Amino acid sequence: MTDRYNPQVIEHLVRPRNVGEIEDNHGVGESGDSACGDVSRFSVRMEGLRLEEVRYKVYGCAACIAAGSALAEMADGKTIIEAAAITSGDIEDALGGPLSKGKEHALTLVLDSLHKAFEDHWNRDFEALLADGGYLGNGESGKKTVVAAMSGGVDSAVTGLLLREAGYDVVAVTFRLHDGEPGSRSCCSPDTVLFARDTAHRMGLPHFTLNLKELFGTRVMSDFVGSYEAGKTPNPCVSCNAHVKFHAAAFLADRIGYNKVATGHYARVGEGPSLARPEDETKDQTYVLWPMPKELLARTIFPLGDYRKTEVRAIAEGRSLAVATTPESQDICFIPDGNYRKFVGKRIEAKAGEIVDREGNVLAEHSGIANFTVGQRRGIGVSAPTPLYVTDVRPTTNQVVVGRKKELEVFEIGVKDLNWFLDPEESASVQIRYNGEPVECDVSEGDYEDEWVVRFHEPVIGVAPGQSAVFYTDDGERVVGGGVVSRRG
Amino acid sequence: MNSPVYLDNAATTPLDERVFDAMLPYLRGARGNPSSLHGAGADAREAIEAARGHVAAMVGASPEEIILTSGGTEADNLALFGLARSAPPDKCHAVVSKVEHAAVREAAKRLEADGFEITWLGVDEYGMVDAREFSASLRDDTAFAAVMWANNEVGTIQPTMELAGICAERSIPFHSDAVQAAGRVGMDVGESLVSTLALSAHKVYGPTGAGALYVREGVEVSPILFGGGQENGLRSGTENVAAIVGFGEAARLAREEMAERAAHEGELRDLIIAGATEVPGVRLNGHPERRLSNNVHLTVDGVEAESLVLMLDALGYAVGKGSACSSSGHKASPVLEAMGQSEAEAFSALRVSTGKENTLEEVEGFLGAFAGCIERLRELSPIQAS
Repeated sequence: MTDRYNPQVIEHLVRPRNVGEIEDNHGVGESGDSACGDVSRFSVRMEGLRLEEVRYKVYGCAACIAAGSALAEMADGKTIIEAAAITSGDIEDALGGPLSKGKEHALTLVLDSLHKAFEDHWNRDFEALLADGGYLGNGESGKKTVVAAMSGGVDSAVTGLLLREAGYDVVAVTFRLHDGEPGSRSCCSPDTVLFARDTAHRMGLPHFTLNLKELFGTRVMSDFVGSYEAGKTPNPCVSCNAHVKFHAAAFLADRIGYNKVATGHYARVGEGPSLARPEDETKDQTYVLWPMPKELLARTIFPLGDYRKTEVRAIAEGRSLAVATTPESQDICFIPDGNYRKFVGKRIEAKAGEIVDREGNVLAEHSGIANFTVGQRRGIGVSAPTPLYVTDVRPTTNQVVVGRKKELEVFEIGVKDLNWFLDPEESASVQIRYNGEPVECDVSEGDYEDEWVVRFHEPVIGVAPGQSAVFYTDDGERVVGGGVVSRRG
Repeated sequence: MNSPVYLDNAATTPLDERVFDAMLPYLRGARGNPSSLHGAGADAREAIEAARGHVAAMVGASPEEIILTSGGTEADNLALFGLARSAPPDKCHAVVSKVEHAAVREAAKRLEADGFEITWLGVDEYGMVDAREFSASLRDDTAFAAVMWANNEVGTIQPTMELAGICAERSIPFHSDAVQAAGRVGMDVGESLVSTLALSAHKVYGPTGAGALYVREGVEVSPILFGGGQENGLRSGTENVAAIVGFGEAARLAREEMAERAAHEGELRDLIIAGATEVPGVRLNGHPERRLSNNVHLTVDGVEAESLVLMLDALGYAVGKGSACSSSGHKASPVLEAMGQSEAEAFSALRVSTGKENTLEEVEGFLGAFAGCIERLRELSPIQAS
């Protein structure tokens, strides 16, 4: 049976508010598609942060038309931050109560198109983010305000919650980083944006989405593929933290006059400022945070640094956050199935080449160097009495070098692209893998330009160019700095 | 606001005052069960038999051929399951058109799920079954065929005489759902060789809760309801006397006034078709000539039907969405799909159906509101008209 609509829905249908499209607008967003029945488009005109005018158009059922009308009326005249906090429930209240079953999509549809208009608005100022210094706000004004990155997962949700409970005005932001696999819940894909918005709104937080697909594509994904092509082992999370995530959060904070930025990383901000290891050593993410610019770190909060993961889940459950039971996010967000070989293989032309030993004897053929990483043992395709490991990948000759485990041992590496938080001389140990054990070392400036030399106190196996080398203080608690391994031995 | 203008007569019709008056005595006070021996029971029995006579006369049948049911849906179900169950065991195939009312379609789907083989017969762009294709789909093991007399959504009238004749020649029972057609289209089972015919009271200004299945003498139909053996053992259950009396009176009036009614509602229908299709992007569905006298079925480009129906309702005009029976879910109508229309087109379909009570002024008012609402909704739409 079809339920009767509330009189408020019919009233909005017959006399829709704010119909139209603003020609001279500051943001336009559209959601839905005509093939599936409903389309909504919002346009906004702004004066500073105030929405001076909000207009909408809808093709669809009565619920969509009425929801759009109610939302446009509510958002009109509010600040963009206030409008970004309007929830589906708020629209339902304006329409006299819950819509009948099967009509709830109207709320998501119109809300999403308004949010896409906001996204478009920020996107128009995007050159500022791409340029250096897009994050120049100093985070030092009076109010406790913070932009918190929100993926929709349990960590970021609890981050928002803890900040709010600590007295901050919190604005949640989700980054649209890649198109993802259709229907998948991999982080930062389209469905995740809706989920993250819903999570933020349930906590009463305003929510924005920033479209960083271009930035992420050039700075992270292409770099990821290019590194494999160059025989290196890249870490995309490091690139994202170096160039994308914090810059974007700070970009938004600057635009809305907010001071701080926050993420759900497990790390702490120590003196200096410097990065410090978190309470939960099993979730330590300092290794992937080393390239954060110091100016950004100075205005960053990592609320989860003082908590263990089990406590974070307990907080989420205690506050009845739906995200409490969401699975852990993947290693690489844009490769949800974890098969990065397939991902890389689709994007570069594989060229067959030789597999050789240390002396240069040809042992076999390989189908492309991108399939090989230093330290790899499986899938080499050469039988030998003792296990063989990849000891080197040489892009110039398109060769893969294999050898015994002993040949993987390295005593010295070169490191470039350094980012220091503290005096380099404080470096006492180095970590060269996520979740790896730090190894005692000496660090000194090398003979080559921009290169530093790291000498291990004991041999280390499986160091590959492209990986991050992160230096820790004597007590192992603070990050001195980090860089990218440029050579081994 | 003026009192609402009702233009959804294909969904249900207003109860005729004369019918209401005829029913009242059977609703009020002491009533007898038609199965009882006493006088009150006999009164009720006689009232039912009088009504049966009127229903039979409406379609040219004899009273013994009329089985009274709770409505059109039960009549269709009785026909399909009844014909299927009484067929010889080696006949387990049926031909059913793709444009049947849900009462036939869903019953046929259930037979299909139970192991019956169904040939779903397609239609042309007007919703019309092709007689030659129909004939070719009949087989030696065909237990029955079912093609409605006239379509409830788009109003197209099928070549029922021809189809029933083909079946009669091959001794295959032929069922026709005449719920929309009866009382509008001249119908004589002496000329149309249908085996069974489903009828409903509330489409001809009678009450809901009453219908009938005509079963030609000699055609075997098994019951689907079992109990006290009423209706010659074919439809057990104490009769809904007042509704049946109402059906009888409605059938009597329909027969008497059919020509006059068809002319009146047909005139209004033609005015609506002419006026509505003058609005850009509005076109008529169904057959341009062979259509029910009260049916207007339109596709309105660039407008979602639900919004249009509700907006017209708010302005005082009650019309139907593409198909009233499947309109709760956002699912395209199988009828329009069978006619080759896309899902998007189906969402823009509207049914306007006239009745004997409608006036010229109402139709003129409707046409103004119709054009106005379409303009408003198109202004509101972000999709550019193609």
